Amino acid sequence: MPEIFLKNISKKFGRVTAVDHLNLQIMNNSFLTLLGPSGCGKTTILRMIAGLETPTEGVITIGNKVVFDSDQGINLPPDKRNVGFLFQNYALWPHMTVYQNIAFGLENLKWSRKEIKDKVNALLAMLRIEQLRNRYPSELSGGQQQRVAIARTLAPGPTVLFLDEPLSNLDAKLRMEMRTELKRLHRETDATFVYVTHDQQEAMTLSTMVCILDKGQLQQYAPPLSMYNSPANVFVAGFLGNPAINLIEGHLSENGMISFGEVKARFEAFDAVTLGEQDVTVGIRPEYIRIGKEGDLEARVCSTLPSGMETTVKLAVRGMPLTAVVFGDVDFPVDAKVKLSFHKTVVLFDTVSRKNIARGSLTLLHS
Amino acid sequence: MGHVIHRVKSRALTWFSKPANIILLVLLIALIVFTMYPLFSLLTETFTIHAGREARAAKEAAGAFSLYHFRRLFATAENDYSLIQFYEPFLNTLLVSLASSLIAITFGGVVSFMVTRTNLKYTRFISAVFTFPYMMPSWTLALFWETFFKNVNIGLKTSNGILTSVFGIYMPQWFVYGAFPISLVLGLHYAPYAYILIGSMLKNMDANLEEAATMLKTGRSRMIRRITLPIVRPAIMSTFLLVFASSMSAYSVPVFLGSPVRYYMLSTKMISLMDSYPGQAYIIAAVMILMGIFILILNQRVTSSRRQFTTVTGKSWQIRMIDLGKANAPAAILLVILLMMVAIVPLLTFAMESLIIKAGDYSLGNMTLDFWIGTNLTQRLDQGDSTGILLNPKVWSALGYSLGLALTCALVAGTCGILVGYSVAKRRKSRLASLVNALSFFPYLIPSLAFGAIYLSMSVKIPWLHGFLLLALTGSVKYLPFASRTGVNAMLQLSGEIEEAAVITGVHWWKRMVRVIFPIQKTAFLSGYLIPLVSCMRELSLFVLLVPTSNTILTTMLMQYSEKGWAQFGNAINLLIIIVVLLINFIVGKLTGASIEKGVGG
Repeated sequence: MPEIFLKNISKKFGRVTAVDHLNLQIMNNSFLTLLGPSGCGKTTILRMIAGLETPTEGVITIGNKVVFDSDQGINLPPDKRNVGFLFQNYALWPHMTVYQNIAFGLENLKWSRKEIKDKVNALLAMLRIEQLRNRYPSELSGGQQQRVAIARTLAPGPTVLFLDEPLSNLDAKLRMEMRTELKRLHRETDATFVYVTHDQQEAMTLSTMVCILDKGQLQQYAPPLSMYNSPANVFVAGFLGNPAINLIEGHLSENGMISFGEVKARFEAFDAVTLGEQDVTVGIRPEYIRIGKEGDLEARVCSTLPSGMETTVKLAVRGMPLTAVVFGDVDFPVDAKVKLSFHKTVVLFDTVSRKNIARGSLTLLHS
Repeated sequence: MGHVIHRVKSRALTWFSKPANIILLVLLIALIVFTMYPLFSLLTETFTIHAGREARAAKEAAGAFSLYHFRRLFATAENDYSLIQFYEPFLNTLLVSLASSLIAITFGGVVSFMVTRTNLKYTRFISAVFTFPYMMPSWTLALFWETFFKNVNIGLKTSNGILTSVFGIYMPQWFVYGAFPISLVLGLHYAPYAYILIGSMLKNMDANLEEAATMLKTGRSRMIRRITLPIVRPAIMSTFLLVFASSMSAYSVPVFLGSPVRYYMLSTKMISLMDSYPGQAYIIAAVMILMGIFILILNQRVTSSRRQFTTVTGKSWQIRMIDLGKANAPAAILLVILLMMVAIVPLLTFAMESLIIKAGDYSLGNMTLDFWIGTNLTQRLDQGDSTGILLNPKVWSALGYSLGLALTCALVAGTCGILVGYSVAKRRKSRLASLVNALSFFPYLIPSLAFGAIYLSMSVKIPWLHGFLLLALTGSVKYLPFASRTGVNAMLQLSGEIEEAAVITGVHWWKRMVRVIFPIQKTAFLSGYLIPLVSCMRELSLFVLLVPTSNTILTTMLMQYSEKGWAQFGNAINLLIIIVVLLINFIVGKLTGASIEKGVGG
C-alpha cells in the first residue's frame, strides 16, 4: 500500500537550497501536514513527491515503486504516479463547466459516458454542490470553487492526495467549515493526505502527523499533540500554539534549581534525565500560567485581550513579559496587581543548542 | 430653490475637484469630436453628389442629396459594373483577410508556443527577429516577393526577378500575383501580433492550470487542444481582430501584388474611385468600417465573460518545458532560416536592387552606388531623378517631415494614452470611464485607409485643417488605441494606494503624475509612445489620401517612385525607412527598456 518514503531528498534552485537532505516516511492512510513559515520548502517537497518538481538528489518511493532516484536516473512523470493534487488557487479551467471540470480526468481514463456521469453525480452529492453542475468557475464563490477543485481531484479515486494550502484563500468562517469537510473526506476516501500549510491551527486540528520545517530542514516529525506538549526545539515550541509559548531565559543549577534573575524555582523532570549546570530556556504555555488572588509571584497586568471564550492577559513580572490565557472572559484593569503560579508541564531547552532537554514541573519558591 | 441650486453646485464642485473626472470629460469631448464627427461626416458624403465627373455621370447638381452612389455601386448590372467595382473586391477582401489572419495566427501562435513551452534552441534570436517584419513597412515583403519571383511571362511582363535571372525558374502567375501571395505576405507581416499577444498570454498563464491536467493523466495533444488553446483563445481572437482589420485596409501590398494582374481589394478599389467618384469611395470606406465593427462584435460574442476569469494567483512556478528531443535542432534551424527569409533577406535584396543599373542583371559590372550618391543621373543613366537619394534634398526634407510627423503623433497619442489609462483606471466602474475607454478603442476598428478617407472628408469642410496639422491629427487619433491600451494596462497594474499615499501628504496632481506614477510605470508608458512612433514612420495607407504632395513624406515618395518604375530609388528609400525605424527602435529600447512587445503585449 502507498507508504511514501523520501530518502536524502535535496532541492537546490541555483545557489539557494530549498530542501536539505530530507528523510521522511509517510504512513498509509495518514493525514500528514507539512508545516512551516513561508519559504521553508514545504510546497517544494509536495511538488517533488507529486513529480511536478525534480529533486536535485535523493530517492522517492510511493507504495513499493521507486518514482524518483537521482543515482539511477529514474523520474516518473506526475501522471504515472497515481496521485491527486489540489492547488492553492484551485486551478479550475475557466472555459469548462463544473461538470466538465470534474469529468475531464475520467475521460482521460477512458471511462464510459455512463460511468463518468454516475461518478460525477456522486462527487457532486458528496461535496454538496449538485446545484452548481452547469456553472462556470467565474460564477462560483471561493468556497464553491474549492469544493469543485476537491471533487475534480478526487474523481479518479487517488490513493494519495496532495493538498497545497487549499484553505488559504478562504475567509475565516469558510475555512472552519472546510476543515471539517476535509477531515470527513479523509475518513470517507481512505486515502493518504499530504497537506501543506503555514497555519499551525490547521495543522493541529486536521492531521494525524505533523512535519515541521524551517529553512529546508526537518525540525520535528510527530503527532500534533505530542509535538505541542513536547516540542523538539525552541523553533517548534514557538511555531505551535497561539498565543505563543513563553520562553524565559534562566540558569539551571546542579540541584535542579532554576534562577531567573532574583526569582528562583524548583524544576522536577518527569523522566529520569541527568542535567548538569547550564543556561536554559524555559518554555511555558500561556494556558499553564494560572493567575488570581492566590499565587506564588506578583505580576502587573499590562493588557487584557478578551475574545469571548478565552482571555489573553499580558503580564510583567519584574520587567519580564509573560502571556497567560484564562478561560472565559475576565477583565483586569491595566496595572492591576495579580498573583500567578505555574502548573502542569514546562519544557526545558538548552539555550545554546536550542534543543529540548527535559519536560517537568516548575514550582516557584517564595523569595 | 436656492437650496437645490446650492446642492447641485457643491456636488459639481466635488466632482470637478478630482483630476480624473476633468480628464475624462475633456477626453470624452475630444474623442466625440475626433471620432464621431468624422464618421458622421463620412456618412453624409455617401449621400452627397460631388462636383465634376460624378455630377455629370449622375446627372444631378453638385451638393444634392442623393442615393445615386448606393444604386450605382451596389445595383448596376450594366457592364457588370457592381460586380467589378464592389462585389468581387469585397469577396477578395474577405478571402485575403481571412487567409492572412489564419496564416498570422498559425505561424505566430506556433512559434510563440515553441518559444514559451518547449526547450527550443536559439529562442533569443528567434524572439528578436520575429518582431522585425512588424517594424518594416508592410509592402517590404510584397516588394521583395515581386522582385524575387516576377518574370516576363506574367503581370506587367517587364523584367525578370532574381529567381528567373539567376536560376532560370519561371513561377506561375497565381504564385507571384493575386490572392495567394497577398495573403501570405500580409500573414507573415502581421504574425508578430500573434506572436506577441499569444506569447504573452502563454507566458502569464497560470502554470497550475496545466499541472492540474497533468495530474489527471491528460495526454500532451489533449492538453493543448482542451486546456491550453481554449485558455489562450481570447488572445487568438484579438489577434484575429487586429490582423483582419489591418489586412482589410492594407493598400500597398495589393497594389504591388494585385494590381499588375487586375486583382482588386476594397482598399485598392477605394483609392482608384476616390478621384472621380468620391461618393462611391466613401461607401466602400463605410463598408470597411462596418466589417471592422462586425468582427469586434463577433469577438465579444465568442469570448463570453462567463468563461473568463482571472484565477486567484497561486505560487508562480516555472512551467515544465516540453522536451523536443531530436527534433529540437532541426526545428530551430528551420525556424531561423525561415525568419532570415522573412526578415533579413528582403533587406539584402533591397540593398542589391538599389545598386543594379539594368533590371534583371545581377553581375558586378551592372552595379553602381549612383542611386544613393550619384549626380547627373538623368543624363548618364537616363532614368529617375538626377541625383542619388542621399544627395537629393527632396528625400531629406521628406525624411525630416516623416520624423517630425512620427514624433508629434507619438507625443500626442502616447500622452493621451497615459491620461486615458490614468483616468479610466481611477474611475474604473463609472459609465463615463467605460465610454471613454470604448471611444478611445474605436479608431482601432476603422481600417487605416477608411480612416484617412474620413479625415479627408472632414478636412474639406474645415479650411484651416490641412497639411501637417491634418496628418498629425489623423496619426494621433489612429494610434491612440495602442497607446491607451498600454496606458490602461499599466495603470491597472498600479494599485490605487500608491497615488493615495501621495494625496494624503498633500502632493498636487501634476507632481503625483510626474514624480510618482510615471517613474513607476516608465517602461510601459514609453512603449506606449514607441508604437505610434514606429507605426507612423512606416505608415502609408493612413496618409496616402491626405498628403499635400507625394513628396511630402518618405512612404508616399517611395510609392510614387515605384509607380513611375524607378525601382532602384524606390528600393533605396525603402531601405532608408527600415534602417531609420530599426534604429529608433533600437535606441529607444537601449535607452529606456521600452519595446514594441511591451506595448502590444501589455
